[in-house]
Amino acid sequence: MDTLIIGLIEAAPLVLAAIGFTLIYYLNGFINVAYAETVTSGAYFAILFNSILGLNFYAAIVPAALLAGALSALTYVAVFRPALRRGVGKIEMIVLSVGLSFLMRHAVRLFFGVDLYLFDITDPSYLSVFGTGVTSAQIWAMVLAVLIAVGAYLLTYKTTYGQQIRGLASNADLAATSGIDPTKTSVLVWFVSGVAGGLAGIFIGVFSFVDYTLGWNLILIIIMVTIIGGIGSVRGALVAGAATGIATAVLTNLSDPLYAQVFLLLLFIAVLRFRAAAARSVKTLMARS
Amino acid sequence: MNALVFPLQGLTIIVCLGVLLHLQFGRTGIVNFGVVGFSGLGMYTTGILVVNYEVPFALALLIATALTGLVAFLLGLLILNLESEAVLVATLAFSTIVFYLVTSESWLTEGVVGLGTVPRPFDVGDTSTSQLLFLLVLVAIAAALLVYAARLQHAPYGRLLFSIQDNETLSRSLGKPTFRHKLVFFTVTCAAMGAIGGLDASVNQFLVPRLLTADLTFVVWIALVLGGRKRVFGAVLGTLLTVGIFDIVIELYVDVPREFAQQLPNVQLMLFGLTLILVILFRPQGLLGERRRKPQDSPTAESRKKVQA
Amino acid sequence: MTGASSATRPPGSPAAGAKTLHLHDVHKHYGGRTVVDIDDLVLGAHGIEGLIGPNGAGKTTLMKLITHVVSPDRGRIEYHSPDGTVLLTQHSPDAIARMGVVKTNQVIQDFESLTIRESLLLSLAGAEQEKFYKVLRDKAFLRRADQEIDEYLDIFTFQDPDGRAGSAGEKKLLDILRCLLLKPRFLLMDEPTAGLPQEETDKVMELMRTKTQETDLSILIIEHDLDLIWGTCEFVHFMAEGEILLQGTPSDVRSNATVAEKYLGASHA
Repeated sequence: MDTLIIGLIEAAPLVLAAIGFTLIYYLNGFINVAYAETVTSGAYFAILFNSILGLNFYAAIVPAALLAGALSALTYVAVFRPALRRGVGKIEMIVLSVGLSFLMRHAVRLFFGVDLYLFDITDPSYLSVFGTGVTSAQIWAMVLAVLIAVGAYLLTYKTTYGQQIRGLASNADLAATSGIDPTKTSVLVWFVSGVAGGLAGIFIGVFSFVDYTLGWNLILIIIMVTIIGGIGSVRGALVAGAATGIATAVLTNLSDPLYAQVFLLLLFIAVLRFRAAAARSVKTLMARS
Repeated sequence: MNALVFPLQGLTIIVCLGVLLHLQFGRTGIVNFGVVGFSGLGMYTTGILVVNYEVPFALALLIATALTGLVAFLLGLLILNLESEAVLVATLAFSTIVFYLVTSESWLTEGVVGLGTVPRPFDVGDTSTSQLLFLLVLVAIAAALLVYAARLQHAPYGRLLFSIQDNETLSRSLGKPTFRHKLVFFTVTCAAMGAIGGLDASVNQFLVPRLLTADLTFVVWIALVLGGRKRVFGAVLGTLLTVGIFDIVIELYVDVPREFAQQLPNVQLMLFGLTLILVILFRPQGLLGERRRKPQDSPTAESRKKVQA
Repeated sequence: MTGASSATRPPGSPAAGAKTLHLHDVHKHYGGRTVVDIDDLVLGAHGIEGLIGPNGAGKTTLMKLITHVVSPDRGRIEYHSPDGTVLLTQHSPDAIARMGVVKTNQVIQDFESLTIRESLLLSLAGAEQEKFYKVLRDKAFLRRADQEIDEYLDIFTFQDPDGRAGSAGEKKLLDILRCLLLKPRFLLMDEPTAGLPQEETDKVMELMRTKTQETDLSILIIEHDLDLIWGTCEFVHFMAEGEILLQGTPSDVRSNATVAEKYLGASHA
């Protein structure tokens, strides 16, 4: 029971990360490995404000998440949008994002070194949930995860931007000719995705520590669970993101990383094979329906 | 001269892996993002057999190659008929598993403490002569792989691989059992990666899990993509321009200030990342470009240009 | 099962009955829409047969069901040849192609890395040549292959056979030649002339007539160019809304009221 609750609580940042990753995958249709560094950047921005500039932890979250969002939007404008415009293929887009990931990760390492950073968070108050002790930071992580999930849902389904995002995701050319400004909408999505990723990084950092491999260590799991979850729509992705985030957290808590990884790979293959068999003649296995 | 031998051995290893990746990715379209998983499996199998069980090097290398091939066969059986995106993720996950395996099963691999010492495959008495000889053997293997890749371009099997990469459905409609071909070729080339890894065990002599991080996969990829993934010599050119410049030119001939030298591997990976971005944005087919259009014996070499447009 | 080589019959003997496709209760739907719904159909009883019908009638899907690129929801598709009877739905598309049941493509398909000649060589190479360790020049194979390829290149002109297929017409023609080099025994042609210049169309059809007379090849053609159908086919199947509504000689079908109403009326107005 304890493990389950701890798992649930630790899942919150993963859910955030999965939602952010999914938004981009849904919008632009490629696996953005550099999303790992968006997650990492959030943690480092928060460290900068908190441990180095001495800002209160909760006060540091806001500018750090916004900066992570801005950085994410910047990578879109500077790297991914030009690539998409040049018609770079799906696999090459992934390779490109791997390149960006290495560039950013090692830039972080250049500035911050290999040291582990800890957040300066005074007197976390302990609460009891079903008999398991949790800290206020963990509660905050859960609250924010829920808020972001609801926000992303509202953004895609209840606003005009949402219509545009869904339009863009299904057909960028058509959307462009029907008067949607793809750049503005896309930048917004990348920003929101960055905020979610940044928050994920911050809370993962709070629960343990911050170093330059923080996001990189998570990205493979995020990619796999997101694909396993299946991305038919943002709605589906949000549910899948939440469910898989929780599953991953429980999984990594219950066993050592080796078996968790083996299990995940087998599950990944099984799900994709099942989906391929189910949609024999349909071309795309994991693309939007 | 002696200082050059070790980095040159490492460089030749990268070239070999690069040519094998060219065969998989550049020829057949198999997106293997787990290069280090296969070479690492070969490396540790060789190391464990030689160090822990005192198996002769040649036999250990053979077993390692076969084992890597077997694992690749099983993995390929499961994933090669999935979308290329899924193949990418699954191979990357596989290499992560190999990394965790080596790290956590320390009763067998010595874990982070390290496994050593793996001897050279042969010893002619004098260490530096042996090292030099070993380098020559590696270069000969790289040359053999290059000759194979070059010959393949004009062989039925090479055309078959290209057809799979370009349009697998069309290839099947022409009676080609594409899945079986992919599986066989993936198995063979991954087994070869395992063999190269086994030789690399002997280059490194002391094995630690750090050798099996995704960094190696990344280095091989950047070399191939920079040089030209569809070109036989793409991996060679790419390796010289990346690993060659950093591990040999700068390492040995440039006087880097001490405080900066520590950051060198870090800056190196940063620049590799930047290079990869620039290549994909501005020269996606790599420095050598598209495959040279015409095979040998064509009388109409000039007239081809017109059709290309 | 790999026998791509066709036993040549003495010239002049009738092609009828040699190889046929029997479809029993074949059904395919996408979503809620029934695309193909066939009770009982025999194809290939005559040398060249036509398959006509309005757009969306399910003609292409029918061919794809035969080559098993698309799996039927239910039903059996049998291939009867002198070698015996095979249930095609139990075999993979590549195995079916190796049995000699081959389909040309309506939508242009090509290998962008291969030149025209390489593409044709690909068709000719079999499992025997395609081994990963066979990288030395196989002179015997090349001589044989060049000879066969040149036979076709003498008839059809490409701007540069050692370059890539340039125009849509060249790609379409290449697609047909690739299939012919497989030495099919049952050739399914999905709108072979769409995108081809008239001159090339005539050459293709002339070649098809010769092939069916001289070898034991059976052909089924989907075409909207009805003059071609009436002029070339010995037997015509009319398909609409997934079902075969009418069969007969070109003159029978041509004069039938249903066909005129459902199809000819629209396109021959």
